[in-house]
Amino acid sequence: MSHFLFVQSQDPFTDARAARQYELAIDLKKRGNDVTVVLVQNGVVPARSQAVCPAFDELAASGLTLIADSFSLEQRDIASQQLKANISTGSMDDVIDAMLAGHKVIWN
Amino acid sequence: MTKTLTFAFMDPPFESERTVTFFRLLDAALERRANVRIFAYEGAVALAFARQAAHGNAVHGRNTDEEAHPLTKDWIAALQRKAESYGLTFEWINCGLCVDERGVNEVIDGCGRGGPPDLWRYASNAFNTLTIGTR
Amino acid sequence: MNVLQVIDQAFRTTVEEQDDTILWLTQSMRGAGADLTVLLSGHGVHYAVQARRQPALVLGDWKQSEPAEIHHDIRRLVDAGVPVYAVRDDIEERGLQPSTVQHGVTLIGRQDTAALYEQADQIWQW
Repeated sequence: MSHFLFVQSQDPFTDARAARQYELAIDLKKRGNDVTVVLVQNGVVPARSQAVCPAFDELAASGLTLIADSFSLEQRDIASQQLKANISTGSMDDVIDAMLAGHKVIWN
Repeated sequence: MTKTLTFAFMDPPFESERTVTFFRLLDAALERRANVRIFAYEGAVALAFARQAAHGNAVHGRNTDEEAHPLTKDWIAALQRKAESYGLTFEWINCGLCVDERGVNEVIDGCGRGGPPDLWRYASNAFNTLTIGTR
Repeated sequence: MNVLQVIDQAFRTTVEEQDDTILWLTQSMRGAGADLTVLLSGHGVHYAVQARRQPALVLGDWKQSEPAEIHHDIRRLVDAGVPVYAVRDDIEERGLQPSTVQHGVTLIGRQDTAALYEQADQIWQW
C-alpha cells in the first residue's frame, strides 16, 4: 500500500482534466492505497454544498480523505458548514505533513 | 534530524494563484521545521528578480507606501529570515537558461543560478519533492 | 529513486522555447543520471505520435530557424533507456491513431496508470 496526497487546484468547471484526476484518485483508493485530496484554489469550488458537480460527488463518496484549504474557502466565502459531506478543512500544513511522512505528493 | 523538502515551481509573479499557494507551502514547510530547497524553472525565475518595484493604486486612492503592493522578492526575503530564525536552510536556485532568456539576471541575495542537474541533485538529497507545473 | 514524469499538456512552449520544457528538463536530468519514467497523458499524448518537426513561426521579417523536434526528443529518451508510456484512451479520444505511436513508446490503458503511480518512488506532475 502506498500513501498518496493530491493537491487539487484544478476543478471540473474550468479544467476538463479535473474529472480524470478525480478518477485516478478514486482508482488508487480502490486499489487499496491511502489517498488524500487537498482542495486548494478553485479546487474548493465544487465542494460547496449546493455546487452541481457529479464528478466531484463521486470523489467525495469514494472513501478517500478530502480536505478543503481554509484560505481558499475564505477567499470564496465558503463557510465550513457549507461544505458537502465527508470534507474536512485544513491548510498547506496537511500537504507538508504528508511530504514529511514520505507520502507521494502530487500537484494537480 | 531535520528533513529537507525540495520544491520545483514554474509560474512567474502576478499571473497565477499557484504562486500564492507555492509560497504558502514554503512557509508551512519552514513552520514544520523542514529545510527548504527551491528549483525555480521557466517563469518562476522572475520571482526573485531584484528590480521588482511597488507602485500606488490610483483606482483605490492609495500611494505607493499606502498600497504596500506585494512583491515576491519580499516574500522570498521574509522566508529567508524565517528560516534563519529557526536555524533552517532555505536554498533557491534559478534555472540559468530561463534567467537569461527573460533577462532577469539581477536577483536578491541568497538566490543562485543553476540548471536541471541541480533539480535532480536537490531531489536526490531531499526527503521528498513536490513539483508544481504551470498551465 | 525512480521518478515518474507526468506530461499532461502539449504545445504550451514548443514555439517560444523550441522545446517542450518538460521533455527538455527530463532529457537534461537523464543526462545527469536521473532514473526517470515518462507518462504522456491528456494532450501530452500528441508527443507520442509526432512524426515531423514543428512548423516555423514567421513574424514580420523574423523567421524561426530551429523549431522543436518533439519526435526526436521522444526517441532520445527511449534510446537513453527512459521508459515512455502513453495513455491509449487519451490518444483515441483525441482522434489519434495508436498505430502511429513512435517505436519504443508503450501504450497503456487509462486503468493502468494507477500502477505506474504505485511503482514510482515519486510522481512529478507538470
